[in-house]
Amino acid sequence: MKPTLRVVIFVAALLPVLPSFGGARHFTFLYEANTSAPGSLELENWVTWRHAAGPGRFDQVDFRHELEYGITEKFQGSIYLADWFYESDPEHSGFTYSDTAIELIYNLTNPIVDPVGLSIYGELRVGDRLIELESKLISQKNFGPLILVYNATLESVWEGSDLAEREGEFSQALGASYEISPRVSAGIELLHEFVFPEWRDTEQIRNFFIGPNVSYRRGNWFLTITALAQATDTQDEPDFQLRTIFGIGL
Amino acid sequence: MNKLSILIVLGCLLVSCESINYVPAVTSQMTTARKGQHVDFATLRQGRTLLVHRCIECHTLPLLWRYRTEDWPGIVDSMSHRSSLKPAEREAIVAYILAVRSVEP
Repeated sequence: MKPTLRVVIFVAALLPVLPSFGGARHFTFLYEANTSAPGSLELENWVTWRHAAGPGRFDQVDFRHELEYGITEKFQGSIYLADWFYESDPEHSGFTYSDTAIELIYNLTNPIVDPVGLSIYGELRVGDRLIELESKLISQKNFGPLILVYNATLESVWEGSDLAEREGEFSQALGASYEISPRVSAGIELLHEFVFPEWRDTEQIRNFFIGPNVSYRRGNWFLTITALAQATDTQDEPDFQLRTIFGIGL
Repeated sequence: MNKLSILIVLGCLLVSCESINYVPAVTSQMTTARKGQHVDFATLRQGRTLLVHRCIECHTLPLLWRYRTEDWPGIVDSMSHRSSLKPAEREAIVAYILAVRSVEP
């Protein structure tokens, strides 16, 4: 690994130290159905490291800084102040600003008292050379200390200098988290992606990732980490992904 | 056969977890369940609603019998700021928990 990348990962690990309260996440690649309490404000720092080995090897570290606000008991909004990344491959390396985003989540049913907890999610990302629309159906059921979550996501992306490159993606994710103690949970996350370059399925791109997660919460902060390994063999996709979300109430 | 056994065990575990009612619906019996105290129906319903919305933001719901009656006000109080609970909302949650404990065996 290049020294610069080591520095980036080290700095990313320090980011959570910044002053930044609210609900804890049990997953990092999945969303849970419950929404933030009205009036609560939370800062979440996301760091995702993607690594691919072999001929097309690359390392990329993505950063997201989310301000999440509870608008009503069942409705929350978020602003992703800046999404940026560091990438390193055999040809070049450096930092790039990607986009700024807004996200809205509306909770329909509760995972405890209703047969299934459901929420709908919408996100708009706009950058210098990127527009992305993402919609999601979030379902969740709590069985005592066990949380089961399923997300179905549809994404449309326009990117490039004149936004001429189009891509669609459908993904489904399944997660389970068991509460070992009030402060610690551990579980598993599975991510299944169907990628449609130019909105066509001629390349039949399917990616499947699986891996463990662990979440720790204390006081007004939480830290959740997931490590995913690719079970398929898709070129240009990471062999390994590590995502950390640190959240703290403001 | 082994996979089938695992699935059956997991299924039984889920069914047993689901059969436990962590947050029973509010009944008129609960309003007078605590000796010498009357809590109105609306407060108990609000307490139940808040319990299933706010508390699961951070953790799953514990069995209401897991902690002693006298411990519950302090437990809820310790997390009320984190879950943005106003004093009346915190009291409603405590009232619901204590009412459930009073009527359930």
